[in-house]
Parts: sequence; C-alpha cells; structure tokens
Amino acid sequence: MAHELSPMDSYDFVIIGAGSAGLPAAVYAARFRMHTLVIGELVGGTITTTHVVENWPGVISITGWDLMDELKRHVDVNNVPVLEDRVTDVKKRGELDFVVKTLDGKEINAKSVLFGTGTTRKKLGAPGEKEFENKGVSYCAVCDGALFKNKVVAVVGGSDSAAKEALFLSEHASKVYIIHRGDKIRPEPINGERVEQNKKIELVLGKNIKEIFGEKVVKGVRFKEGGELKLDGVFIEIGATPNSALAEKLGVKLNEKREIIIDVESRTNISGVFAAGDVANRHFKQAITGAAEGVVASFSAYEYINNPKAPKK
Amino acid sequence: MPEVKIYSTPTCVYCRHAKKFFEENGVKYSEFDVSADEKRAEEMFAKSGQIGVPVLDIGGKIIVGYDRRAIKEALGLE
Repeated sequence: MAHELSPMDSYDFVIIGAGSAGLPAAVYAARFRMHTLVIGELVGGTITTTHVVENWPGVISITGWDLMDELKRHVDVNNVPVLEDRVTDVKKRGELDFVVKTLDGKEINAKSVLFGTGTTRKKLGAPGEKEFENKGVSYCAVCDGALFKNKVVAVVGGSDSAAKEALFLSEHASKVYIIHRGDKIRPEPINGERVEQNKKIELVLGKNIKEIFGEKVVKGVRFKEGGELKLDGVFIEIGATPNSALAEKLGVKLNEKREIIIDVESRTNISGVFAAGDVANRHFKQAITGAAEGVVASFSAYEYINNPKAPKK
Repeated sequence: MPEVKIYSTPTCVYCRHAKKFFEENGVKYSEFDVSADEKRAEEMFAKSGQIGVPVLDIGGKIIVGYDRRAIKEALGLE
C-alpha cells in the first residue's frame, strides 16, 4: 500500500533500497524499536528477476519473487512502512541529523541511513544494443524468455547469473549460446554441471561482440574476432555497477569499483551512514550475505543512535 | 478510468509489479499471456514493436515496462 508521509516525518533509521539487504534490515530495525522507513524504487529489488533461488538456507527452492514477497510480508507484519519512490539526495546536517529527499518531492528527516541501493545492469555498449532493446535484446530472461519459444538465443556473459539465465532460457528456446570473451565461464560449480549436461546450451568462448544486427528485430551478432551468429534474441548479463553516486555525494568513501567501503559492522567512513548488499565492497555477493550485512547495519545504527559519539569498536 | 490491458508472461516480474500496482490502486485490467497466445503476441508487437514484457495499453497509451510514474499519469492518478 502507498504510504502517506507528512513533510515533517522524522525517522530513526531510513533504509534506502527495498531489496535483499534493505528488507531484512527493516525486520531487525523494527525489533530494535527504531522508527524506520524503507524507500525503494522496486520493492523486492534485483533478486525478483532471478527465476529460482536455491541457496537461501532453509528454503530448498523458491522463485526470487516469492522469496522477496515473503520478506516484504515480514516487514509489513512489523509495521515498517515501505515507500515506493526514488531517493534523489541525502545530506548530513550533523550527528543524528540527516535529510533524505525523494523524486516525488518528499523531505524526510533521519537519525541514520542505510544504503542498500544495489546495482544497475551493465550495458554492452555495442552498436545495435540500444536500437534493438526489447526487440530481441533483453536484460531480463525471466521476463522475456517465454517469448522465445523454439527460437535461437544467446546469453552474453560468463558469470553464475549468465549460466542461470541460459538454463532458464533452455526451457523455452531451441538453442542457447553462452557468448563470453574469456576462455571459460565461472558459474557456481553446481550450475556449471547443469550447463555442461544441457544439450541445448553451447559455449562460444573468446569472442567479443562487435555489433548486434537486425531489421526491426534482432537477427544476430557479429564478433570483433570475425564471424557472426544468427540469433532471435540476445540476453545481456555482463555484470552490474553499484548504485553509489548518492553515497559518494554525501562523502562516503568508495573503492575503485565504485562500491561503498564498509567495515565488518556495515559502517561507512561517515558516522550514521551504513551500507549493505550488492552496493558494498564485499567479494562474495549473495542475497543471504546482503541480508546479513543489512541486519548488522541495523544493529550498528541502533548503537549509533543510542550513543552517536561512542568510538568505533 | 481508461481500459487497461497488460501483455505479460507467467514469469515476468515487472508484470507482477504492474499488476500489484493496479490491484493496490483498484484498477481493473485484462491480462494476456503472450507466451501462450500467439494472436495477442502479434497484437502486442503491432502496437509497440516490442518483444519484451510488460507492454501496457492504458486507454490507447502504450507503456513499455513497469514505469510507475508513466502508469500513474496515464491513469490520471497524479
């Protein structure tokens, strides 16, 4: 439900991002009795586009959507409001004194903030990519895969996500290529085995895409190394960039990958500012690790609010 | 309220976001599964030139993807 805020609303803890880091943080924040608000553009976050999640301990297999739907319910029963809006600015006026502005024109006061802002899919940057977006070029296999029944498609990328997309697409398409610039793909070994055993999937390694070509819709790709591949669909899965620009503007330190640098307590270099999940500088990025970082951030925010001048432990 | 159509697939999450938005705002809609209904898939392509879901037809205004602000505007909810 849409949450009505008054302009003077003030919160102990404002969580920016309603994904697998932000929502678990909200559950704990409610238990710490912090007056909390979650603001997110897309409730559930990126994991809602994952077809099957099999590595959330205690849940053998669940769709990304259903997992996040359950988490959202968990937040709802704890009476933490979730505002569907985009944060456009965060300023620190002093200790325990932040102001968060949104695209819909809201101004919210906060004693502490958490960036669980996730990432944005990287684009390939090849000619034809933009022209044929949603005309055969897709960034969401779970959404559009079923439209390529008995067609020939490719996933571009070599990550675990790319492998999972190829496996999902093989349920619909007649043939699925995985195009990767490296000499091998690097999925979770369990998914690597599934790719190897899948007769519809073929690896095209050591190839960089020069161009996506077509006529009204995608017809194929050409490689920088020469040659082309006739295709009906191209699914781009080449990683993501952290949504850290707002944090950077606030003075939060980023690393060379533009990830927010956090310590083991999910604290950033600025007191009262925390980060968790895919936007943070963790090597192993999973829904479960993002959730844990979010939960730790809630506890750190709770400690900060109770004693903002305490030295970092 | 304008007539609302949503062209979707069963696993499309942005379609689910859009449908949830309609339900929460009391908007009635017709849904067409374009992975199973070829005629509707052709209709969607003719209207939008898209092979991607969701495609929304709100009183003749075509919106591609779950664009909450565009949906609100088309529905006159702003």
